[in-house]
Amino acid sequence: MTTFAEKEGMTRRQFFKGTGILFVSAVFMGVFSKIGFDAYAASDEYIAKRAAGLYSLDESMTLRKSHLNPEIAQIYKDFLSPGEVKPLTAKSERLLHTRYGNEIPALIEELKNPNATAENEAA
Amino acid sequence: MSTEHVNGKVLKHGTQTRTMHWIHLVAFIVLGLTGIGFYWDIAGIASIFGGPANASLVHRWTGVVFTVGPLFYILLNFDRFARFIDTIGSFSKEDFAWLKVMGGYLPFIKVDEVPAQDKYNAGQKMLGWMIIIGCILIILTGFPMWLWRHSMSAVFLNICYNIHFWTAMIMILLVAGHFFLAAIHPKSRVEFASMMIDGYIDAEISAHHNGKWFTQLEKTE
Repeated sequence: MTTFAEKEGMTRRQFFKGTGILFVSAVFMGVFSKIGFDAYAASDEYIAKRAAGLYSLDESMTLRKSHLNPEIAQIYKDFLSPGEVKPLTAKSERLLHTRYGNEIPALIEELKNPNATAENEAA
Repeated sequence: MSTEHVNGKVLKHGTQTRTMHWIHLVAFIVLGLTGIGFYWDIAGIASIFGGPANASLVHRWTGVVFTVGPLFYILLNFDRFARFIDTIGSFSKEDFAWLKVMGGYLPFIKVDEVPAQDKYNAGQKMLGWMIIIGCILIILTGFPMWLWRHSMSAVFLNICYNIHFWTAMIMILLVAGHFFLAAIHPKSRVEFASMMIDGYIDAEISAHHNGKWFTQLEKTE
């Protein structure tokens, strides 16, 4: 039985075609990667500058910790935990904590009927 | 098209080509499956890979295999790659004639004789280019989504996600069509064993489906 097989190796034309495709792919990927690496470096630089800005802003503040802020302490004394500075009360959690996802419909209801919530709390 | 009876076998795909095809196929299936699982948030698919976090890891590292596999093949078998590119990059009048009758695959186009084809017919040539371009796009958009996601703008990443997703969808459809024609369709399913098993195909089938190429093989014998 005869077994046919392709001739190994390549012609000059095939070599140039294969090399051409590899070259075009490499240039395409190289340009894309260069844009990416440049944007990455620029982004890193921006992040470093932003972080330095925030730190210097923070260092220049008189009050750097929220629990030492007399105004916040006063809000707790007057309203969130009357008579004392006590974090994490039901009222402070409800009013100060951000709500997400599935909690949003209940929040919308609460905002529409604030009295109902107050009555519930009173009860 | 040769009509005479031809005896013998043709070695159509070498061992390394078949190995690369297998590696790329398995990687493609894993990537497609995990990718579909992410996009439509299908818990059942994520569970196969040990949960969403593991599925994500599997997707990324299989992506590395998907990239490095063909690259190694090209570097180690440059002559085969060059011949492949030469074949799929040459569109002759027989190829256009083949496209006009869709290779005789469509039942409503009556064809007496399909024009003689190269090692790959015009449809396979077009598929070859689409797979090459698709792979480059998927690789180019995949790695930034993994490695640069904390540093790139949301707009850039969104473009990457969209190109990645739509290219993957088109590739999945192309590969499904490729599988149907190469493994199921009665006219061409004999091709399956030549790529997936031993690399050989009957000379008579080659003479019939790839007449131009077979004539060259006969000359070199």
